[in-house]
Amino acid sequence: MTWYEKIGHQLFEPKRDQTPGELIFFKVFELFVLFYTIKYAWEWGIYTQLRNTEVVLPLGVANYIDISLMFEWNLALINAAVITLLAVIAFARMGARWFYMVVIVLLHIQYVARFSQGEIPHSMNLIGMSVFAFAIGAIWFPGKKNMPRFVIGAIVFFIGLGYTSAFFAKMIGTGINWYDGRHLWLWISEKSIDVYSTIGYYEPNFLQELALSYLPVASVILLIGWLTELIGFTMWWKKLRPFTVTLLIGMHIGITMTMNIRFDAFVMQLILIGFPWYLLFDKFVQHTPKWIERTV
Amino acid sequence: MTEKESKRGMKVIGVTLIIFAILVAPHEGEFWPFSIYPMFSQAGNPWTRAMILDVTDYSEEEIWQQRTNEDFIGDPVAVRQYGVDEIDFSNYVSKTENWTDRRREAIRRMFGLHTFEENRWLVVKANGYLAGEDSVAVDIIPWILLTSEGTELNPNIDNSEYMSGGER
Repeated sequence: MTWYEKIGHQLFEPKRDQTPGELIFFKVFELFVLFYTIKYAWEWGIYTQLRNTEVVLPLGVANYIDISLMFEWNLALINAAVITLLAVIAFARMGARWFYMVVIVLLHIQYVARFSQGEIPHSMNLIGMSVFAFAIGAIWFPGKKNMPRFVIGAIVFFIGLGYTSAFFAKMIGTGINWYDGRHLWLWISEKSIDVYSTIGYYEPNFLQELALSYLPVASVILLIGWLTELIGFTMWWKKLRPFTVTLLIGMHIGITMTMNIRFDAFVMQLILIGFPWYLLFDKFVQHTPKWIERTV
Repeated sequence: MTEKESKRGMKVIGVTLIIFAILVAPHEGEFWPFSIYPMFSQAGNPWTRAMILDVTDYSEEEIWQQRTNEDFIGDPVAVRQYGVDEIDFSNYVSKTENWTDRRREAIRRMFGLHTFEENRWLVVKANGYLAGEDSVAVDIIPWILLTSEGTELNPNIDNSEYMSGGER
């Protein structure tokens, strides 16, 4: 067995039998992704329509097309409506297998229109990667036997890869001294301006005061977070996944406390894919409900 | 899922990774939803953010003076109360290179023109940097004044700084 086949075994678990709990969990997860897809599509669409007048930073396809077209004629709202319709049909498995693929393309356009204002947020990336995994799964791994395993496995793969690549991006961008606590001081002061701008006042919390008062504390906070990113890829291994994900969730709580950056959907998604919730469903459910059988 | 499908799954992931690399490589690591997550990768660099201060009750002379994050004048305006995302606003100010009339006016429109019937708001840039070995300094630089009549630039700043992107 090659190395990548071994990783495939950990991600897709071909030897494990499928249970009602797994199918129920999969559909619950898909509902979660559907909810956020629709929520983002409308939030981004409404913001784009109301606020955007100029392109400050072209992202993605906006490098090649004039994305300011989306600011006019209610195009962003129409796009949100189309995304909603296609995503719901795809969720119900009533349309063509490529509907999710169209959804991710339209969602990309929605994202680059909304975030043409200079910010490059990452808190929505996992939802986007999930829609992308559903798109691939629906086309190349359709049916209840393959799609749930592929979709969840692919998402776990890309999340793990993302954290580890973030570690190396820091190593390349700054070097081994990235964890110098003074860097955290700079980010805390930077975020303090954002907080002023958001709510009109700013008071450092306990952890921020501690980090600002003691350089070693600030350095240790950064070092722990950085090393946690490094081991992100270990979530590919089924037995390590709950432990790795627990550490990552802890890291996000730390980021929220030190830098006032919240990743709500990100963390919820980590909670969903990081633990074997299907075992819990299997304790209470003996048979897969018919509507789930039909829509997986 | 069978062994064969598992193997195919890894091949599909491999192809996706290649597409991922092709998309993010020429776009500075970002092609949503693909990302190498480069945020915070360049540590220790000076930063620039922005905020708005309500300076309705202050004189012209006071308004245009450069200050710090410890002695700035005016109350910070909570931009989210106006439906504006603070990060968007900050990036709009810090990343705009050419402050054309249109781009200046876009800020007033962001908050609704009626807002300035009674208020005078000062858009400030906040520049943070490491000062010496053990402290961070934040300069508050008055940038654009928003009034009922339009916008005013800081007379103490050379006009070329408002058009640093050059002619396009």
